[in-house]
Amino acid sequence: MTSTRTASRTGLAALALAAALAVAGSANAQPRTMLNVGMAAQDISRLDPHYSTTTIDKVVVGWMFSGLVRFRPGSISPAEIEPDLAERWESSPDGKTWTFHLRRGVQFHRNFGEVTAEDIVFSLTKAADARRSGFAADYRAFEAVEVVDPYTVRIRLKEVVPSLLGLVTNYHGGNIVSRRAVEQLGDRFLREPVGTGPFQVTEHRARQSLELAAHEGYFRGRPQIQRVSYRFIPSDASRDLAYQNGEIDLIYGRQDQSWANRMKALPNTSVMVFDPAELGLLHMNITRAPLNDIRVRQAIAHAANREELIQFHGVDVSRAGTGLLPRGYLGGIEVGAVPHNIERARQLLREAGFPNGLTIKTITTQLPSMLATMQVVQAQLRRAGITLDMEVVEHATFHAQIRQDLSPIVFYSAARFPVADTWLTQMFHSRSIVKTPTAVTNFSHCGMADAEIDAARVETNPQRQLELWATAQRKLAEAVCAVPLREGLQIWARRNSVELGYQLNGAMSLGPLLTEQTRFR
Amino acid sequence: MIRFILRRLLAAAPTLLAVLTVVFLIVRVIPGDPALVILGDQATPEAINALRARLGLDRPLHEQYVSFLLTALSGDLGQSMVSGKPVIEELVAVLPHTIDLTLASLLLGVVLGVPCGIWAALHRNRFIDYAVRIVSLLGLSFPVFVSGIFLLIAFALTWRLFPVIGTADLNDWGDRLHKLVLPTIALGSVMAAYIARVTRSSMLQSLSEDYIRTARAKGVPWRVVVWRHGLRNALLPVVTVVGLYLGILIGNSVLTEIVFNRPGLGRVVVAALTQRDYTMLQGLLVIYCFLIVVVNLLTDLAYGFIDPRVKHG
Repeated sequence: MTSTRTASRTGLAALALAAALAVAGSANAQPRTMLNVGMAAQDISRLDPHYSTTTIDKVVVGWMFSGLVRFRPGSISPAEIEPDLAERWESSPDGKTWTFHLRRGVQFHRNFGEVTAEDIVFSLTKAADARRSGFAADYRAFEAVEVVDPYTVRIRLKEVVPSLLGLVTNYHGGNIVSRRAVEQLGDRFLREPVGTGPFQVTEHRARQSLELAAHEGYFRGRPQIQRVSYRFIPSDASRDLAYQNGEIDLIYGRQDQSWANRMKALPNTSVMVFDPAELGLLHMNITRAPLNDIRVRQAIAHAANREELIQFHGVDVSRAGTGLLPRGYLGGIEVGAVPHNIERARQLLREAGFPNGLTIKTITTQLPSMLATMQVVQAQLRRAGITLDMEVVEHATFHAQIRQDLSPIVFYSAARFPVADTWLTQMFHSRSIVKTPTAVTNFSHCGMADAEIDAARVETNPQRQLELWATAQRKLAEAVCAVPLREGLQIWARRNSVELGYQLNGAMSLGPLLTEQTRFR
Repeated sequence: MIRFILRRLLAAAPTLLAVLTVVFLIVRVIPGDPALVILGDQATPEAINALRARLGLDRPLHEQYVSFLLTALSGDLGQSMVSGKPVIEELVAVLPHTIDLTLASLLLGVVLGVPCGIWAALHRNRFIDYAVRIVSLLGLSFPVFVSGIFLLIAFALTWRLFPVIGTADLNDWGDRLHKLVLPTIALGSVMAAYIARVTRSSMLQSLSEDYIRTARAKGVPWRVVVWRHGLRNALLPVVTVVGLYLGILIGNSVLTEIVFNRPGLGRVVVAALTQRDYTMLQGLLVIYCFLIVVVNLLTDLAYGFIDPRVKHG
């Protein structure tokens, strides 16, 4: 009797254990729905997409907002722009009037209602207003944005622009904000923005994290990831340790070969290297001696050794600059990257009246990757007899001082909207020369290609437009306004259990896009 | 006593005013424009000027100064130029983390440092003394970003006893204490090393005084001589150092916060400096100044408790 009872007890216990294991097993089999992301940041700055300029902000803005159109997830090719809030659009034959037809029923986050033409007009008008946006200059050609009916918007242009769709895509000012939320939240909108993307802000924990939740009403379907914790981990070492310890699933990387190699060696980890590349150009002020002598500029161009720079930074995370524009930009050509030739550099210096070499002062940022590039370039130029007298300053100071035209040589690394017009206008149009009322980032003071840049902007024939951009670049290369050095690519790593839901080749938000398809395996 | 506290607080008022003025000027002397930092490198002068106007940076300096003083005196530290949130709200959100770390490190520093210092002094030039001196020198020499990483590799990665990300839930005391352990060891060991060295030398000085010899000659037991006469007199310089170091600790916790990924005032300073967030920097320095004043006051009050000859009247 006792043994029977014991046996039945043992059997029950075994069953209970088996059941518990089965439950635990099934619980383990449940895919995770919370994603932890580790970002090199002290904190976010401004999440109003019309003010989001840092990588830290842009990455998360990309998860929260939509444009009228969007880059296909994983791509930054303007040729792969597809419908987003607008389901279709058409333009007038002269390209100056564009009409967008909105999807119906698209909801803003946090019950801020349906997206209507009013919101689109408000948002694009805000993006074009310098008092309420950092990207107002991009919308210079806008004459009016009008409501046709609650689901139709018309954009009228003063002049044709090279890529109108680029201005209304999910990038910078093209991200659509809720009118009611902006008006109701005031300054709080900077940290509690309201968009229509797959994820919405739930909490900002100062200096710790930004917490996001799935936007259940997302118009492409309910996101499979339910919560995202975007953690600010400024120390590279601590961030890597947190990843290794399983505390984060997706990690922002360093543009450094050793980091890529180390992450590749970790189990169940994929390193993601993608566009847009930031092209580093050595801009030379052609109006200041000794750089006003083209032979000195040519000597610098010949003394720079791109291959050496790539070896230094790593072949996985960087590639040689091949032109005055980053590779892959619409209208970019390979020109201006002259071959490395120390003898030729010395000869040019002798011809310019500097047989014993020369010294040029320059201001450089202490940002590690940019400073390292400049230190390598400094060593390369020294071989040709050119001494770069570098004043290393903190990054914000660097930006302030180069805009005051204090550095005759400026090493500047950037990525822009991948169409030649934006880059050429900001870097090489005389309107953008630093320390002028319309300044952007023309440090070389070059203006010899203004006519072609302006003509290309309003040219309606695509072939002719490409020719104009090519001519502009040839002129600028001939004048040696800048020396292309290297392109630095975006680099992140993720656990193999995280499936992005698309092939990541590029992301204008500078981080992997999280979509409704992103999930844990 | 109350009169003493009030007098000290009143005396601190001109210090605070001077600090406010210096802070206001210093943050504006640093090169770099907050509007340019916020708007990024593609911003046009038009956009920069519009934002400068919105932030009030286009007003004459004296107007900005008066406005800053008036808001500071009313207890309002203004709004962050970057986030638009009230500065006080941002600081209050991280202050508990800084206080936790500072007090825990101080406690560890005192609990480890004082006994070690006494022990070393009582065994002068013997093995224990050398051991304490060498270990404390190591403690002082090891920067937190090195010792912190070692601690993380050992206790988080290898033995998995603690997380790498040390951000704690303030409402959960268990979590709060758990995540405080490693940063406290990293920062507290530096404090302990410093206190041990000061205690040792102060104790040695005290033990060589005439009254110690007299007490011993009278036949007072050695233990009593050490505790009642030696230590009590040796503690005054230690308290001074602790008070001074507490101020430094509050300011120097930045590396600990970064390595252990804890929120805190140190990280706010770094971010505010990088972003040229003038209002945030001003608010932070006011808070720092206030904390230093309070710590100094507490140090002065502690003198009276340790040494009855020190009167607060």
